[in-house]
Amino acid sequence: MNDHATDRNQLIDCDVHNFLGDLDELVPYLDLSWQKMMNIGKFKKDSVLNIGSFQFPHVRYSHASNPLRTDAITPSGDYPGTDPQFLVKDLFERYNTTYGILNVGHGSMSAYHNIDLTIAYSTACNEWMYDKWIKADPRYRMTMVCAPLDPKATISEMQRVAHRPEIVGLNLQNVNIPMGSRHFWDIYEAAEHYGLPIVLHPDTEGSGEYSPSQFIGPASTYMEWHTTLALVAQRQIASLVCEGVFEKFPKLKVIFIEYGFSWLPSVMWRMDKNWKALRESVPWLKKLPSEYIRSHIRLGTQPIEEPFKPADLISLIQMVKAEEMLLFCSDYPHWDGEFDERAFVHFPQELKRKIFYDNALESYRF
Amino acid sequence: METGRISAYKVEVCSTDQLKPSQRKLIEINGVEIAVMNVEGKLYAYRNACPHQGAPMVYGTVTGTMLPCKRGEYTYGHDQEIIRCPLHSWEFHLTTGKSLFDPCKVSIKKYEVTVEDDTVVIYFHKRPEKVSEKEVRYFV
Repeated sequence: MNDHATDRNQLIDCDVHNFLGDLDELVPYLDLSWQKMMNIGKFKKDSVLNIGSFQFPHVRYSHASNPLRTDAITPSGDYPGTDPQFLVKDLFERYNTTYGILNVGHGSMSAYHNIDLTIAYSTACNEWMYDKWIKADPRYRMTMVCAPLDPKATISEMQRVAHRPEIVGLNLQNVNIPMGSRHFWDIYEAAEHYGLPIVLHPDTEGSGEYSPSQFIGPASTYMEWHTTLALVAQRQIASLVCEGVFEKFPKLKVIFIEYGFSWLPSVMWRMDKNWKALRESVPWLKKLPSEYIRSHIRLGTQPIEEPFKPADLISLIQMVKAEEMLLFCSDYPHWDGEFDERAFVHFPQELKRKIFYDNALESYRF
Repeated sequence: METGRISAYKVEVCSTDQLKPSQRKLIEINGVEIAVMNVEGKLYAYRNACPHQGAPMVYGTVTGTMLPCKRGEYTYGHDQEIIRCPLHSWEFHLTTGKSLFDPCKVSIKKYEVTVEDDTVVIYFHKRPEKVSEKEVRYFV
C-alpha cells in the first residue's frame, strides 16, 4: 500500500490511539479506594448489580457504522488499538513510521464530574501507557493526560512524569472554560518550563459534565456533532490569542488534533480585521492575530477536508502561509483518518516533508 | 480457461464448503485483490479496494441502512445488502457495487461469481497469469 510513501524517509504520526482492552488493566495503578470508586478489580460488578455503578465517560453520539476501523481488529479478536505489537505491525511498518504519538483512545476523564477521580485516573492512565505501550516499542511516544479542571494537580502530575523523554505533549482536553482564561496560566507556565506543547483532541466534547458546548446547543446526530467539532478549535484559538496567552508565554505551542484545518483562513482573516478596529480592547496584542496563530498554533491534518478539486487544499494552505502549521495524523484506528498518503498526492515534496516530519519535530518535545 | 463470456476468464476460488455463510476469501489475480464473500448463501466478489482511499473492503461490515425518507422518519432497509468501507464507512450495494451517495459516479468494481461443480468461481476480465490466495484475518 505504500506506493505513496516512497518519496520520504521519515514520518511522525501525531495521532495514534491506544485503548484499554478492559478497565481492569488500570488495577495495578490504583489503590483499593479508587478501584472501589471505579468498580474494578475485586469490586467489579456483574449482571444486574451493575446498575448505578461507575461508567467511564463516553461520547454519547452513536456512529452509523463503527467508529473504529474494522480492518484493524487485533489477531486475538480484540478491539483495534489494544495490542501494542499488532499496532506496530499494522500501522508503523506499513507507513514506515519513525515515531507515533499516542493520544489515549478510550478517552480521558478530563470533563468528568468527580475531579478527584479524574486526578487518580490520569495518574494511573499515564503509568499504564508508559508500562504497556512506551516500553513495547521505541517508536512510541505519548501525550500525558491530566485534570484540566485542577491546575495544581495537573502541575503535580507534570512534576511527577514530564521528565520522561517519551512524553512529548500535554493532552489537556477541552472543558467548559475557554483556553485563554487565567485558569490555565499556571499549566501553561509549567508546560513552557518542561518544553511540552498543549495538545487538544476531541473526546470530552459531549462526554463529560464539564464538556464544552458547541455554542448553540447539543447536536442531534453524530454527523452534526463531528462536523461542528471544528468550531471548538476556532473558538479556543480566538480565546488564546485575545487573552494574550502567547504574549505571556512566548514559547508555548498549542496543537489542535482532529479538528481539521480548512477553516483556518476564516479565523485568521476575521481576527486580523477585528484587531485593526478593536485592538483597544486587547492592547496586549502587539501584532496581527494571524501572526500569533502562525507562530503558536499547530493543526493536525485529519480529518482532512476534501474540496471539490483536491488540489485546492494546497492553495488554501499557501493563502495563509500555513506550511509550518500542519502535522500528519493517521488517527489510527479511528474511522475518520487517512488510509495512506494519497490524500496528499497533490502536495509538493517540500510541503509533504514539513507535514510528515519537520513540523512535528519542531512542535512537540523531541 | 477461456469461456463463452466476453473477455472473461474463469478462476477457481475454492470449494463451496470452504466459503460458508459469513465467510470471506481474498484472491489476488494478476496483482488485483478480489474479495469474495458468502452473505447468507449469496456470493459476492468485488475489488478489495475502496475507491476513496483504497482501504481493504474484505474487512467491510455487511449490513442494511436507512432508506431515504421524510424528515423525522427512519426506515431501515437493504438488510444484508450493503457493505461499508472498514475505514470511512462509505456504503455500497453488494449486488451492483454502486455507492449509495453517488451511484452513477462512485462504485466498487464487481466480478461475476458463481458455483460450478461445488466450486466457487469468479470470472476475470484478463487472462489470469498469476493467482494466489491471501490471508483474511477475521470475518467482520
